[in-house]
Amino acid sequence: MKALLILDKEFQTQTFRSLKDVLEKFLHTKGFETELIEVGADNLTYCMGCFGCWIKKPGECVINDLMSQINNSIMNSDMVIYLTPIIFGQFSANIKNTIDRNIPNILPFFETKPDGSTTHPPRYKTYPKQVIIGYGDELSEEDKQLFMDVTNKHRRNIEVLIDQGTTENLLAALNKIEFGKVGL
Amino acid sequence: MVKNIVLINASPKIKEQSSSKDLLDMAGNQLDPNTYNKTFIDVRKSISGPKLSEAFATLSKADVIIISFPLYVFCLPGILTRFLQDYYKYYTENSTARDKVKVKVYAIVNCGFPEPEINLEAVRVIRSFSQHINAEFRFGVLIGGGPMILAAKDAPFMKKTIQQLRAAFSSIAEDIPQEQITKHDHIYLGLKFPFSKRLFYFFGGRGWVTLARKNGLQKTDLYKKPYRLNE
Repeated sequence: MKALLILDKEFQTQTFRSLKDVLEKFLHTKGFETELIEVGADNLTYCMGCFGCWIKKPGECVINDLMSQINNSIMNSDMVIYLTPIIFGQFSANIKNTIDRNIPNILPFFETKPDGSTTHPPRYKTYPKQVIIGYGDELSEEDKQLFMDVTNKHRRNIEVLIDQGTTENLLAALNKIEFGKVGL
Repeated sequence: MVKNIVLINASPKIKEQSSSKDLLDMAGNQLDPNTYNKTFIDVRKSISGPKLSEAFATLSKADVIIISFPLYVFCLPGILTRFLQDYYKYYTENSTARDKVKVKVYAIVNCGFPEPEINLEAVRVIRSFSQHINAEFRFGVLIGGGPMILAAKDAPFMKKTIQQLRAAFSSIAEDIPQEQITKHDHIYLGLKFPFSKRLFYFFGGRGWVTLARKNGLQKTDLYKKPYRLNE
């Protein structure tokens, strides 16, 4: 099985280094072959809202940078982990850029989710299990709740964890996750 | 003293028509130029180079900040996240910015989906940003089906929605001069369908096919799976 670990080049604090270390060991123990990708302002630019990935080159971003490799790796992994600093209760800029530019992997059309709201249908039959792990110092309870809600209220089959400062807690949370490909 | 109002357009688009900019212009038009000093910042144009410091200096002197942006994957676009993240760093290192008090912040968020409620978490992020810079977040205008509302703004069936949109921006204009801070709920504004949601989906889908055909593609090309050719 293959895992993709997406890291932010910024905010590589002591907490970040500990989490990265724990994650790498965890994935190794579980038998994953792990690919590490670090994203930053120098290798990943911003989505430009052109919809070229839907109407010019369907399924692929038209910007020529690291994102093509990332989207390819995502779709050929069994598990993707985003390790992100929590900024204002959401992802950091570099990680948000990566998430914004995942949209080639879905279709432009509309469909209704079980909760009645609108979403875009999947492009592929299955997707890797996605885990988002947030970290930060002195996070307010409000920001922590917001970080969970940003994903949990709107997206399915994605696990969201917040670093609680201990390896045991993180490992316990990771061990509860069911791995394997999922639907959207 | 004349209040400085900074209006931020955070659409990531480079050349195409931007709903966020159109909405921001509508909001800006309701602010009397004789009463306020209005400055517009385009995040896309400011994000790199010397214009960024200029934008941050302008922002640090704002009494009122109005941020208009499209929803990207249920939250802020990466480019706006970068702008606010870097402004926060500027703010923490700049005493002029930190000395500014009673700054009011408003958010205008629009998404392509018809339900305005989907924008709520993005508004909460702007609230968190406001708290980090010691500003007073007032309220958000959450717009569902933004691009379609603007595209059909002259159609008779959209008249009521456009009136509601103007009323929402009037609420911002009326709130700005208030000295007393009282709670103000967010304003939700969705598409009022003259037809069913299913038809909205149908017309939306047909729009994508039409655009793809202009690029020489067939409808089936839209479903390509470049990273799993055998699926």
